[in-house]
Amino acid sequence: MSIERVLFAFVIVLALTLNVGFTVGDLTDEHQHNRYELFGAIVVSLIATVMKFGDRTPLGSTMLATSLVADLQLLAAAAAWGYFASLGETLAPGQMATVVSLAIGALVANVVSVVLLVIEVAGLRR
Amino acid sequence: MSTTASQPRHGTFILLRRLRRPLVVLIAVYAVSVLGFTVIVGQTPDGQPWRMSFLHAFYFVSFLGTTIGLGEIPYPFSDAQRLWATASIYAAVTAWLYAIGSLFAVLQDPMFRRISHEAGMRREVRRLREPFYLLCGYDDSAYRVTHELTQDGVRVVVVDNVAERVDAVDVDDHRVEVPALKADASDPKALVLAGLTHPLCAGVVAMTGSDAINTKISLSTRLLAPKLPVLAVARDHVWHRRLAAAGADNIINPFDTFAERMAMAIRTPSLHVIYEALTTQLGTALAEAPVVPRGRWVLCGSGLFARALRRQLQALDIEVFIVDTELDNSSDAGNSLQGDPTDPEVLKAAGVEDADALVAGTPVDIDNLAIVLAARTLNKTQYVAVRQTQHRNTPLFVAAKTDVVMFASYLVAGEVLRHLRAPLLSAFLRRARSQDEAWAALLLAELRKVVGEAVLESWGMDVLPASLPAVCEALQKGETVTLERLLTRVDGGGDRMRAVALMLQRGQDRHLLPDADMPLEVGDQILFCGRDLARTRMRGIALTHALAAFKPPSPPEAKFQGVP
Repeated sequence: MSIERVLFAFVIVLALTLNVGFTVGDLTDEHQHNRYELFGAIVVSLIATVMKFGDRTPLGSTMLATSLVADLQLLAAAAAWGYFASLGETLAPGQMATVVSLAIGALVANVVSVVLLVIEVAGLRR
Repeated sequence: MSTTASQPRHGTFILLRRLRRPLVVLIAVYAVSVLGFTVIVGQTPDGQPWRMSFLHAFYFVSFLGTTIGLGEIPYPFSDAQRLWATASIYAAVTAWLYAIGSLFAVLQDPMFRRISHEAGMRREVRRLREPFYLLCGYDDSAYRVTHELTQDGVRVVVVDNVAERVDAVDVDDHRVEVPALKADASDPKALVLAGLTHPLCAGVVAMTGSDAINTKISLSTRLLAPKLPVLAVARDHVWHRRLAAAGADNIINPFDTFAERMAMAIRTPSLHVIYEALTTQLGTALAEAPVVPRGRWVLCGSGLFARALRRQLQALDIEVFIVDTELDNSSDAGNSLQGDPTDPEVLKAAGVEDADALVAGTPVDIDNLAIVLAARTLNKTQYVAVRQTQHRNTPLFVAAKTDVVMFASYLVAGEVLRHLRAPLLSAFLRRARSQDEAWAALLLAELRKVVGEAVLESWGMDVLPASLPAVCEALQKGETVTLERLLTRVDGGGDRMRAVALMLQRGQDRHLLPDADMPLEVGDQILFCGRDLARTRMRGIALTHALAAFKPPSPPEAKFQGVP
């Protein structure tokens, strides 16, 4: 067990859990989605991306790719939210649905990331 | 070069990997700062409590670290916000300094620089779209080779393991871009990286300073790119056989080259004139034949150079006397003297006063010049040859006004260029060397008559559809195309071009000075020499597809017939 591996797994799983936490709830209801949770998901996802830099194994490259996908989707969600918020006081249900569905896309990428992490660890055991 | 072992590493990934920690720190500092600003409560001007949105917080933090002092937006901050901003400023500036410092540290890192240098080289070589020569070693002679080849628009790739020399490639200002790799040329991977297995690589020139490395380069080429011609430089005869076994197609030995030219000047002065005219840049056939005495030669030095010269001189039955501080076992007491040749007393004892020629051939330039000056006080009339090893001493050797200077680096460059530009010329010169003076004098007279005072150029012509389509078409129709017809001007009413065919190669047969009425065949390689204009005209035949009429209207005068 090394601190580095613990941190690595911690960040990747945290990125997934924060992402799940944000997306759970009514797709169109602004009050069921916490903006701080989205912010946290973005930050952790970015850190996860940086931690995956420079791994040249095929698995490592795929993990980096999934992380980049997650970053892209989450940043798009945040940008959409910021833009919609600047248009009026509250978000229309359709606008909120756009934000959350973008985050759900990132969720899928984060799930893949965690699966790859598990595969890698399983491979180490053998 | 171990980094290219498994797969080409990408410099960017290494950069990112090294920057992982500073990047995480930077992201964390930004995240905490932004979060703080969105949480801390401020006040609008009309006294309402107010919290910054994420957009404002990110905007503020973004310029906070880099350009402190764009002001408090959108409203003046509360005390709590100012406290947080202060903390954020210190944290963000520190994080940025750390990140930028790490970035420069990685960029300066020798390994990273090497990897990016190799990656850049790989890109440059991959982008080459014309045939190129791979030059191993970049010393004075290689500089000259590169310079002359690039003058002709030929692409060259250089490999050298000395960083200063590789940097010099950029500074030297060649006419076309010369990719240069800093790597050990004895490493096959370095050669492959420099384009050894590139489909457009036209040949390899091994001219590093070491015979052993040159042999390794030949071997690598023979095994990795079997079809490529290899030109290797060797100074020691011990390595000749190894080089040949390693697959070098041509071996250049500057000492042998000089010694053979010396012997040629003694035995067949006319051939020496032809040789000089063909191999030097602005040589003409009108140059005076050199007067090199046979008589008694005093050779100062006993190294590889002196040995090569002695071998050639003794083959001509010339008396050779060796002087050096240390003699090898091949000299006997009768024709050698142990002593410092820079000492006039030793030179006197060696009999310089009544010698016909003196060779200052030690490996040290200053010693050689000292010998020349010392010998001059003893004997003013003798022929003096001196060896130069360092380019920077050239002014001294020019001022010393000796009869001939042997500068190995210069000779190597000349030989390499000759092999690359006109491979047939080397074969011709080798064959011509076995002819006698009468033959050479006759050829010289012919050259003087045909070419006159113009600079003598030599060039090769292949009877192939690509280079001489008109000839090949005529041959396919069953016409007989003689050498005479190829040498007839298309536009000049049947005038002869001012050129002479020196040699014709057909398969393995080489015909020295082929007859003018010799019918050509597809696949013949012909070596011509003559005026530059004649070369242009002959190239014109290749371009315009036109060939002189079947029978030249005015038969040329009786000509010199070759092959004695």
